[in-house]
Amino acid sequence: MRRRPNGQDGDLLGGTLDMLVLRTLQTVSLHGFAIAQHIAKRSDEVLLVEEGSLYPALHRLEERGWISAEWGITENNRKARFYKLTPVGRKQLTAESHRWSELVAAVARVMEPSS
Amino acid sequence: MSWRRFFRRSQKDDDRAAEIQAHVDLASEHYVEQGMTRAQAQREARLRFGNPRAYREGVDDLNRLPFFDALQLDLRYAVRALRRTPVFTLTVTATLALVIGANTAVFTIADQVLLRPLPFPQPDRLAVVATHTQSAASSGEGTSISGAMWNAIRDNVTAANGATFSGGAGGVNFNADGRAAFVQQQRVGAGYFHVLGLSPAIGREFTRDEDRDEGPNVAILSDGLWRSAFSADPSVLGRAITLRGESYQIIGVMPPGIRSFDNDDVDLWTPLRTSTRGEGANDNYGAIVRLADGATWPQLAAQLRAASTPEALATFGPPDGKVERWMVALPMQAALTAGARQPIMILGATVAAVLLIACVNIASLCLARASARRKELATRMALGSGRRAVIRQLMVESLLLAAIGGAAGLALGAVALDALKYLGGDAFVEWRYVAIDGRTILVMAGLAAFTSVLFGLAPAWQASRIDVQRGLAAGGSRSVAGGAGHWVRRALVVVQVALGVVLLVGAGLLIRTFVALDSLNPGFDPNGLTTASVSLQDARYESGETISQLFERSVSALEQTPGVTAAAVTLELPYTRLLNLGVTLTDEAAPPQGRMANMSYVTAGFVRTFGMKLVAGRELTAADRAGAAPVVLVNESFARIYSPDRDVVGRRIRVSGAEREIVGVVGDVQQKPSFFAAGMVRGPIMRQPGVFAPASQLPDSLFKLVHTWFRPVWSVRASGPDVSSAIRNAIASVDPALPVADVRTMAQVRGEALGVQRLLMTLVGVVAIAALLLAAMGLYGLISGAVTERTREFGLRLALGATPGGVIRTVAGSGVALAAVGAAIGGGLSIVAVRLIASLLWGVEPSDPGTYLAVTTFFLVVATLSSLLPALRLLRLDPARTLRD
Repeated sequence: MRRRPNGQDGDLLGGTLDMLVLRTLQTVSLHGFAIAQHIAKRSDEVLLVEEGSLYPALHRLEERGWISAEWGITENNRKARFYKLTPVGRKQLTAESHRWSELVAAVARVMEPSS
Repeated sequence: MSWRRFFRRSQKDDDRAAEIQAHVDLASEHYVEQGMTRAQAQREARLRFGNPRAYREGVDDLNRLPFFDALQLDLRYAVRALRRTPVFTLTVTATLALVIGANTAVFTIADQVLLRPLPFPQPDRLAVVATHTQSAASSGEGTSISGAMWNAIRDNVTAANGATFSGGAGGVNFNADGRAAFVQQQRVGAGYFHVLGLSPAIGREFTRDEDRDEGPNVAILSDGLWRSAFSADPSVLGRAITLRGESYQIIGVMPPGIRSFDNDDVDLWTPLRTSTRGEGANDNYGAIVRLADGATWPQLAAQLRAASTPEALATFGPPDGKVERWMVALPMQAALTAGARQPIMILGATVAAVLLIACVNIASLCLARASARRKELATRMALGSGRRAVIRQLMVESLLLAAIGGAAGLALGAVALDALKYLGGDAFVEWRYVAIDGRTILVMAGLAAFTSVLFGLAPAWQASRIDVQRGLAAGGSRSVAGGAGHWVRRALVVVQVALGVVLLVGAGLLIRTFVALDSLNPGFDPNGLTTASVSLQDARYESGETISQLFERSVSALEQTPGVTAAAVTLELPYTRLLNLGVTLTDEAAPPQGRMANMSYVTAGFVRTFGMKLVAGRELTAADRAGAAPVVLVNESFARIYSPDRDVVGRRIRVSGAEREIVGVVGDVQQKPSFFAAGMVRGPIMRQPGVFAPASQLPDSLFKLVHTWFRPVWSVRASGPDVSSAIRNAIASVDPALPVADVRTMAQVRGEALGVQRLLMTLVGVVAIAALLLAAMGLYGLISGAVTERTREFGLRLALGATPGGVIRTVAGSGVALAAVGAAIGGGLSIVAVRLIASLLWGVEPSDPGTYLAVTTFFLVVATLSSLLPALRLLRLDPARTLRD
């Protein structure tokens, strides 16, 4: 069986897209397009999530049970698949946040001029 | 990766497609808001998404199980391949369905009757007591014992616990709380349930004190009767019920599911009242024993043999030095199924043989198909298909055939089992409760899969050795077809013919047996006779006087019915098993011991009613009644065997305690065997010495004794179509409370008498014909294939001047030669195989040359036809065209 190793792909740093999606869904449930929009807006258009990365990521997260999806209606009365965080996903988000903070701190230490 | 995801792939994929569409719609809306035209916006949204199919495939890849996907493809391809050759597919699945069906039915019976352990704890320690009879010429066992034999076991055998019982269940009239019913009663001795390892759900079982002559009237209810008659009332103990007009006290209730050893349903049990008098004076009981803890079978055997004193075995007459008898213990399961074992084994061997033939046929068909597909397979391999993939493909096709054929076979098996139970249920009571269960389904599924692997493997193996270049070239070959590989099919045809001959010889011998039995002179006129029986095991019918009155008044009522020409009551009928009694001719100085005769009581008109022949003396008349001089009639066998030198009329015999004068001799009728003496011809039905006494002249004690085993039969000779209601009315006019049972025509009685023979003949015959057809098909296929393959060669030969007749002879001759080899082998095998049925044959030798010759000839004629038909195609061959094409 072909299974990709822990799904670390996409344009962002390994695993970062997953984390961003989880964070985006922390308080609201959104459809794919809105998730991409939200990430772009919050990052001041720095992080542009490509559709080609976003949907495989959503699929991956869903398979892992971190998010769940169901069909709903947008404010413009269009049918769309809405994703929301599961309890497992919530725990995962906390773990990823920690990991991220440690990573940022570590990178910062490396980048700072040595004393 | 889960199975659920594997199977839900396509639904998931639809979801993905819809989601992509939704995204594109949302995105283009967004671009429109930013100022693009709708067309631009949609284009932009699509472009940005990239190729949606690539994404969907990416997701799909995550959910794959490569092996099963390949299997799915193979399966789809197999379905297509099989549909392309409907005749092959139909032939194979139909053949498989037929043989699996036959095997299902027979296996179910064999498994549940012979192999399934008895439903008692530690059944391997249970045994039935039998009397072993050993003479210079023969030996055998009978499983009935007398009261004296039981006493000897009870007092001397310590290696086992035992109990007595009486065979099967019998119907009795039952009353409780104002409810009347006809229930099945079995009589058992003290400790019967304990020996079996069963205990009552409520109350207790019979004690020694209840199981004796003149013991108290007590009864144990079955679970079923307890629920239906007493609404499962737990306080039922001590209540009174009425059986045959007598009051009985309930002392126990058994748990559900207990049947008699004859597999009859039992509603209640009463004490056997084991004694050495009455029925206990002769061997009318059965005895079961359970090996005691720590005891061994040899110990039990030694103790039983030691207990077999002449006093204990007195029922068989004093020892004469020629025949030795002693008691033995037979393992219970084998003893209980002894009668059913042989027919089941024969049926099993028959259906197994036909399964083998069918497998051979299917293998042969698959081989032919594989060689026809050489080019296709070679092409596939040339295009890069691996050897394993080709084999897998062929195996999938075989398994698919097996699955279809097996499923159809199981369905057919259910029908066949019903048919077998219908045909054989009367002859073999053990079959009655048999049903297809999980075990049968499992074994049959395994059998179908095994055979499919077997017949799929050979072609697959052959295919895997295809030399691609040669395969492709040979397919379009212009040369003479090579005979390589044909020897397998030839050998298979020989095997088929040989097995077919064996089955047909067996069937032929069984048919000749049946015809011989059926054409025996019945000794009476069975046409226009209707019979009905009534149980007189009833407290109101204990005196000979009331019984005679019932007989006389009902018979005279019947004789006044329009259309009735004669009527009589007898204890039993022709073709049935009769009562045996010892008889002595009083004028002999030293009367020989152990002289037996069938004994039936009759009413005056019985000779006329049955249309029997009066050979000498006079018939019985109404004047031969109680108080008049006691008289009897005897039959020709009696006169011939017991009075060879003197006219038997006028001699006196002592039978059933009284001296009676023989006043006439009637012709023999055919009966089920109940004993054997020198001068008689053994058979499934046979003529035996018989004594017929007027019912009005017999003692009360005899009636009471015989009515526990037999029910008197009313026989009516009538020209009208249906007299069954006339019989009911006539009996009801004397006693409306007597239930009339078993209204049958004499033709039915006669049919049942030869039931086992007819059943075996029919089943083996049908299967043998099927085997013959299969073998014919095999030959036809072989020759037909050869003709197709060698068309070019024969065209060439014909063009070069060969005569059509010569070519046809060459082709068909090879088939006939194969059949001849097969028939010769089959004939040899038959000589061994018929030993299985030798003891069932009658009136024909197991090595009967006529049967062998007829079967072999018949088979060769069929083989010649099956070889000739396809060869005749060569006549239509146009040599010029064949060569050009």
